[in-house]
Amino acid sequence: MTDHDDIDMLAAEYVLGPLEADERAEVAQRREHDTDLDARIHAWEARLAPLGDEVRTVAPGPDLLARIERRLDELETTSRTKPEPEADASGTAQLIVLRRRLGFWRGSTALATAAALVLAVLLLAPLGESPQEPPFVAVFQQDDQQPAFMLSVDLDSRRLDVRPVTAKPLPDRTYQLWIKADSLGPKPRSVGVLNDDLSLPADALSDYDSDLLKQATFGISIEPPGGSPTGQPTGRAIHGYLYPTDRDAVSHHL
Amino acid sequence: MSNASRLSATPQDDSSSTSSASGDRLHDLLLRVTQSDRRAFAQLYEATSAKLYGTVLRILKEQGRTDDVVQEAYVTIWQKATQFEAERASPIAWMVAIARHAAIDELRRQPRAPHESEDTLSHMAADTPSAREHIEYEQDARRLHACLEELETDRQDMVRLAYLDGWSRADLATYFEQPVNTVKTWLHRALKQLKGCLAP
Repeated sequence: MTDHDDIDMLAAEYVLGPLEADERAEVAQRREHDTDLDARIHAWEARLAPLGDEVRTVAPGPDLLARIERRLDELETTSRTKPEPEADASGTAQLIVLRRRLGFWRGSTALATAAALVLAVLLLAPLGESPQEPPFVAVFQQDDQQPAFMLSVDLDSRRLDVRPVTAKPLPDRTYQLWIKADSLGPKPRSVGVLNDDLSLPADALSDYDSDLLKQATFGISIEPPGGSPTGQPTGRAIHGYLYPTDRDAVSHHL
Repeated sequence: MSNASRLSATPQDDSSSTSSASGDRLHDLLLRVTQSDRRAFAQLYEATSAKLYGTVLRILKEQGRTDDVVQEAYVTIWQKATQFEAERASPIAWMVAIARHAAIDELRRQPRAPHESEDTLSHMAADTPSAREHIEYEQDARRLHACLEELETDRQDMVRLAYLDGWSRADLATYFEQPVNTVKTWLHRALKQLKGCLAP
């Protein structure tokens, strides 16, 4: 059997469903950066989808929609950065703007090929007066479960800190951080290729002023060694979700 | 917005029993959901929840767990609507896939007691003919069913039990009284045969 056959069978088995939990988790993780596998999974989903017509439809209980909507409310609430009530209205507005911006980001990478792009959003909110207050944090997620990277930025000093959460160095691949903002034009701009220990110099954002950083979105893509050969992220976009910096809400979320 | 143009690409025919007109409507609703439109989300839920709920309930067989998984599936749909790609799947197929994978993951996390799986096959067999009447006009569905018919009966059953009921290799091995590796080999052959049969 060739490697292609193996990958295709893995995709087929994943879609069909008989894999065990650990195998399923592995495939779900791998498809995020393996575009060949991901494409094969999509192809198998399409092949087998008509089997789903054999399922009898069952109307859920009348309360389920309200439950789901409450859950969405909770998620949006915990996604806001500021616990103060006066920040609520603008927090919600910012969240909606950010959601839209994510779509914009994705659209701009739609033409790119290969590898996966993990997108994230920099939480934007004015820094508090207290220097003790934590900086704002973006979480880069490879799937719904696992944050891959966290990026924190101190808007005053424009210093950044990227750290892997579950992301591991990949053989023959590098991670590259990108910034995108309206004032930079439609295309993402490279912030830098992550070092072997998955770090970046703290001053990598020093060219950008804090107003721009507040408006920007960030992405991490998986690229060949040395970074993207095209100067643009080469990948399918996966968007990240907003996380607050206060500990309770974060642990609730993760 | 470029995202909008992606979403407005020609949607494929629905592979479910939904007509393609309602497929277009789902497509519009999903597009509005990417703009955080809660009303559109509620309409999307009304139009699709019976399908998703039926899919998950068939796998989990238990209302409480089904409620939880369907809830999380719709949260995922809300969050990932921007990832929907019309050129790869119909809206309903994309949504069902999210719910089905969530249900299988939940089942693997906490498997059903073994005796509960035993009446599944008869339940499944009873479902098949009536459901197939609905989709006879669907070309993709007809082709898949024709290709399934070419498989040996045991292997057809294995494919259905895995896909529709979420059975693991171990469940299938117990039921068919075969070693797990044999089940794996049979499934591989069945899947390759299906792929070959479906190839244009």
